[in-house]
Amino acid sequence: MKNTIKVERAKKNWTQAELAEKIGVSRQAVNSIETGKYIPSTVLALKMARAFGTTVAILFQLEKSD
Amino acid sequence: MDNQKKHLGSRVGVYAVIWLFSYLGSFFALRSLDVPREAGIMLVIVTGLAFAVFIYKYYRNISFMDEVQVRVQIEAVVIAFSLALLLVMILGLLDLVVLLNKENWGYRHITPVFVIFYFIGLFISKRKYSMDDEKHD
Repeated sequence: MKNTIKVERAKKNWTQAELAEKIGVSRQAVNSIETGKYIPSTVLALKMARAFGTTVAILFQLEKSD
Repeated sequence: MDNQKKHLGSRVGVYAVIWLFSYLGSFFALRSLDVPREAGIMLVIVTGLAFAVFIYKYYRNISFMDEVQVRVQIEAVVIAFSLALLLVMILGLLDLVVLLNKENWGYRHITPVFVIFYFIGLFISKRKYSMDDEKHD
């Protein structure tokens, strides 16, 4: 699973802490998700998509190995 | 959000310290002082209650954690439980082969080892999910 969180965050010029605040998780959790170490739940993925004003499909994409 | 969680976490830390001091206090009192039997049992009960309160607060604190933190805690406990089971199993089997000195391998010596196992588990799971405090902006 790959994600475009870092790209979307850069577009908005948000830090990990700012994104974390908007979606109600810790900054470490954002880091964990952004680096692909943790796959978020559907609810959290939807919250992220809402915060960025985009869709979950744009934020997260399956890789061939998935 | 982070500040609120840190505050709750620090409160759990306070209860952990209370339990630690009550455990160490009871340990040294029961071991070194000539404590009457009834008083000794009371000390054990107080230590047990301190631990129960700490675990209750820790459990309550989990509901304020985000899903990654919950995952980290679950994996830390799984690792700690597995290591604890491994240790008890080995000591139990070893006890049938060689006579273990109860002064070195009694219940009271194993308790702190279990706590260490939890922190080993926490360290491993935090690393796995990059839950360190390093900034990655």
